[in-house]
Amino acid sequence: MNLVDSFFGPYGGRYVPEVLREPLEELEEAFTRAMADPAFMADLEKYRKTYIGRPTPMLHAENASRELGGADIYIKLEGLANTGAHKINNALGQALLAKRMGKTRVIAETGAGQHGLATAAACARLGLECVVYMGSVDIRRQKPNVFWMEMFGAKVVSVESGTKTLKDAVNEALRDWAATFSDTFYVLGSALGPAPYPHMVREFQSVIGREVKEQLDMDKVDAMIACVGGGSNAIGFFEPFIDEATPRLIGVEAGGRGPGIGENAARMTEGKVGIVQGYKSRFLLDDEGQVQHTHSISAGLDYAGIGPQLAALADTGRVEFREATDDKALEALKFFARTECGNFALESAHAGAGAMELAKELGPGKTLVVNMSGRGDKDLFITAGALGGEEWRAFLKDESERTYG
Amino acid sequence: MAKNMMTHLVAGYPSMEESRRIAEELIKSGAGALEIQFPYSDPMADGPVIQEACQKSLDAGFKLEQGFKMVKDISQAFDRPIYIMSYGGPVYTVGVENYVRRAKEAGARGLIIPDLCIGLDEGLYAAGDAAGMEIVPVLISTVDKKRLEEILDLKPEWIYLVLRRGITGTYTELGEEQITLLKELQQRDVNVYVGFGIQKAEQVEMLAPISAGQIVGSQLVRAIQTAMVQGKDPAAGAGALLKTLLGN
Repeated sequence: MNLVDSFFGPYGGRYVPEVLREPLEELEEAFTRAMADPAFMADLEKYRKTYIGRPTPMLHAENASRELGGADIYIKLEGLANTGAHKINNALGQALLAKRMGKTRVIAETGAGQHGLATAAACARLGLECVVYMGSVDIRRQKPNVFWMEMFGAKVVSVESGTKTLKDAVNEALRDWAATFSDTFYVLGSALGPAPYPHMVREFQSVIGREVKEQLDMDKVDAMIACVGGGSNAIGFFEPFIDEATPRLIGVEAGGRGPGIGENAARMTEGKVGIVQGYKSRFLLDDEGQVQHTHSISAGLDYAGIGPQLAALADTGRVEFREATDDKALEALKFFARTECGNFALESAHAGAGAMELAKELGPGKTLVVNMSGRGDKDLFITAGALGGEEWRAFLKDESERTYG
Repeated sequence: MAKNMMTHLVAGYPSMEESRRIAEELIKSGAGALEIQFPYSDPMADGPVIQEACQKSLDAGFKLEQGFKMVKDISQAFDRPIYIMSYGGPVYTVGVENYVRRAKEAGARGLIIPDLCIGLDEGLYAAGDAAGMEIVPVLISTVDKKRLEEILDLKPEWIYLVLRRGITGTYTELGEEQITLLKELQQRDVNVYVGFGIQKAEQVEMLAPISAGQIVGSQLVRAIQTAMVQGKDPAAGAGALLKTLLGN
């Protein structure tokens, strides 16, 4: 059965062991039927309004635009969605699908924890058992999200294999699913993995782009810019415009500490075409196909691969890519906090950094929209650690001693 | 049919030299064939025991050239079929034809690449045909009839049949449906390496009459780990386990 074309140009596909064929085919069929069912779509729409909090606002960032003296900047405040990021759009869609398919258990992988949090929230609301796989390095980096996932009733499983980050959490989730798919639904959080996941995640995220279309006069928008880890916020933000000639669509990858293997997650400049985790795309690999280490200050952008549709859109030139380093992201975070009270997640701050650069390049009289895909509450310990100086350190020490002796 | 065990090991674990010694010891202890896994960073179809062994091998700097050299040394010294097991990632990156050619030059009998399945195999089966290299399809016992026939239509020399859903390294009980499937394949003269979860001699005993080959994997890696923890020779540990499984 091939209900959706599993490829985007040369990328995508379904490179999985035979054991995963059956659940993926079952999923593809259920997803295709659900999207054509008005009752499912009405249910999804109801939850978008009453639970996610859609539509998310569109802010005209007048202070920031004035100070930069370039193009007019608009910020899609996607981070104001329930659970703090765009991830809930997809998690809720897939959890509703799980329920419709009669599955009682949901598993998910998570990097920054936003997808795990969103999945835990959706499962709590829909009454589904939830298990979240998370690398032990990410658990440490994003402790607040772990705390809330557990509050929502999810079991968070620490993944100790490989690099102990997102890709290893994906491996564990796939292994779990291979053994449990008769009652278990795998809610994958980014627009990647074997088909139909890239399609499904894009469809559930495309609500972001459709709202942008309603909120702005698109004839006047010159560019849209989003950060790209796996690429789910970017592909959802861009989706309604992919087949149009305008506006310019720009993805920002994690430039990390700079060039060099293990220093960044710049798949478009340092990556090559490969097959990893069930799909073909651009990855950071060595000469023998081993997946390389990555780095980013943000746990959501340090994945070694990029969604297959974005890789294909880069080939055709429809989506342009650039990078923002850790330092630039922190700078953008401070800038938008000061000028607009915009609380960018570290991931989204990469898009913010790209927007600051682009606003100057485009110049006055032009307009750009940046997707603030998540808000930064979860990053408090990283951001304050990097920017809070001695005062924050003293506070943590004091608080810890006062509370725990 | 009889006991004919294909023994799995990870190239470069615990070290290149040790893994070569383990391969030799397994052959001397009665292995019918060797499945030598070339480590990959993201072994999706393997459980934690094998993944950890692969990671250690990679951390120690495993390169394909070393793996092929190991296969060559063993294939020249012993008359046993050697199958190289790996994943689509490395095979695709170095090039399917290149990989098949190097395996052939090393004297391997075949390749087992579980995530390059027929129909989405990047030309692996065609390259195998052209080079005279067996490509062994990996199936699960719950495979639907239509898919099974699609695969059998290619007349593979062997198929690798996983007797349960999931990953390597957990204990398997034989079910009625699995026995029926094995008997059906046997009647159709399909050579089956049956695998995953073999830990006891009774399992081998039970499988031997209804399969042409039986695979032991994770349990061997565990035997190697146990030997190392106890300060004993890992090759001897692996060999002893195999003898036990064979009932010798």
